[in-house]
Amino acid sequence: MRKNGVNMIKISAKNVDVFYGKKQALFNINLDIEENQVTALIGPSGCGKSTFLRCLNRMNDVIDICKVQGEIVINDFNINDKGCDVVRLREKIGMVFQKPNPFPKTLYENISYGPTIHGMAQSKQEMDEIVETSLKKAALWEEVKDRLHEPGTGLSGGQQQRLCIARAISVQPEVILMDEPCSALDPIATAQIEELIDELKKEHTIIIVTHSMAQAARVSQRTGFFHLGELIEHGSTDKIFKNPDNTKTQDYITGRFG
Amino acid sequence: MSEAPHTVKSYEEELKNLNSNIIKMGGFCEEALGKAIQAITTRNSDHAESVIKDDEKIDKFETLIEQQVVNLIALRQPMAIDLRETVTALKISSDLERIGDLAKNISKRTLLLNENLPKNLVDALVRVSSNVQKQLKSILDAYLDRSSSMAMNVWESDEKIDDLTNLCMQEVIKYLKENEKNLDDGTHLLFVTKNIERIGDHTTNVAEQVYYLVTGEYLEGDRPKGTEPIVTGEK
Ligand SMILES: Nc1ncnc2c1ncn2[C@@H]1O[C@H](COP(=O)(O)OP(=O)(O)O)[C@@H](O)[C@H]1O
Ligand SMILES: [Mg+2]
Repeated sequence: MRKNGVNMIKISAKNVDVFYGKKQALFNINLDIEENQVTALIGPSGCGKSTFLRCLNRMNDVIDICKVQGEIVINDFNINDKGCDVVRLREKIGMVFQKPNPFPKTLYENISYGPTIHGMAQSKQEMDEIVETSLKKAALWEEVKDRLHEPGTGLSGGQQQRLCIARAISVQPEVILMDEPCSALDPIATAQIEELIDELKKEHTIIIVTHSMAQAARVSQRTGFFHLGELIEHGSTDKIFKNPDNTKTQDYITGRFG
Repeated sequence: MSEAPHTVKSYEEELKNLNSNIIKMGGFCEEALGKAIQAITTRNSDHAESVIKDDEKIDKFETLIEQQVVNLIALRQPMAIDLRETVTALKISSDLERIGDLAKNISKRTLLLNENLPKNLVDALVRVSSNVQKQLKSILDAYLDRSSSMAMNVWESDEKIDDLTNLCMQEVIKYLKENEKNLDDGTHLLFVTKNIERIGDHTTNVAEQVYYLVTGEYLEGDRPKGTEPIVTGEK
């Protein structure tokens, strides 16, 4: 793995173009994602943040008209190569979505689902442990330990989102992708997720798409600004929010757009 | 400020308003310093008294600017250039407030000075003060024009003020030694000189803020220093 200053580079996007049919959604994106850091992707709606995020675990494969070109190198391996095992890739690169989407099953089953498919537990006891640690890491254990066999859909919005995060981390991914994970949550639930993100970055590399500039500033160490399918500027969050190089970046984060 | 206006007009207005209050406050400081010096050179106590009275206006601006900054931070969460505008306004206003205080102190001492001061002392004092006045004017212009090069010039010329201050103090000390009866005058003049020099220092602080405001970077390195200041009259 290459280094960028002090941190290792976990993911390298090289000359990435994405098309939906004839319409190009991303233009020649080059971005290094640092390991054990939180990278925030910001930009106006439709600028391609989600599209880029989906490139990182080949989620665009499920969209028929979507075509991805260029390289996404993770651990020195280009995941766009034919030989890539997509199921294993998604085990390593987990994802959390905008709306909490627990399965219509019990809390326990929500978490054990992934480890079961990936054959990660040899016994009931081992699975119990995975469920417990995942919930603990997602800061949800104390709130739900007495109702593990109740449906996940019975939780509050913030709890459901933490359940989804617990589900994502149950398979020990190296990278967690989050697409506007707090946009359906109230400020307290949002703060809990943000605190959790800070905790999770010790063991995972996190990339978060957010439409809240304040959230990007709060949770991330690196920020990338997208506009009309181009990556306009990226760098330390500090720099982007105090003294960005590009006028478009400045106009966007100071609310002077369009 | 950036060329493009904010999408939210009232936010734009608030930042403009903050900016114009700094300019106004700076104008009052220039006036106070000008009058304080005139009061010495022309022995006009009306000038000195108006400086003392008007300092209240400058203090009020500081309070107003502080409230505006707190409101902007709490309600608008300024970022990038807006953040730098907001934070530097707070710091600049506190330097300007000190400049006002020092001008007031000069005026209070002026009222106690003998009517007939030796010309060479007044001249030495004017040499320092006219430089400081020029600096203050330049830095307010630099703020208005968002000019980092002008700010840098002001910052670099502080050295000259330090040197002129020391020359002036040497003159006053010589006077003190030769006129033991005029101990009061000599002491007041030492403080007046020191106060003018400190106004220069606050002007240099403002220069650092203007430079940061415009470039987002801090002026690097030690402040330019003239000869070591004389603190006491002893050798
Ligand atoms: N499934 C899709 N089919 C066709 N076009 C899409 C699809 N998803 C996204 N796009 C288009 O790609 C562009 C980028 O969208 P998206 O990545 O969702 O932006 P963001 O997440 O920044 O709001 C938009 O113009 C959008 O209309
Ligand atoms: Mg999106």
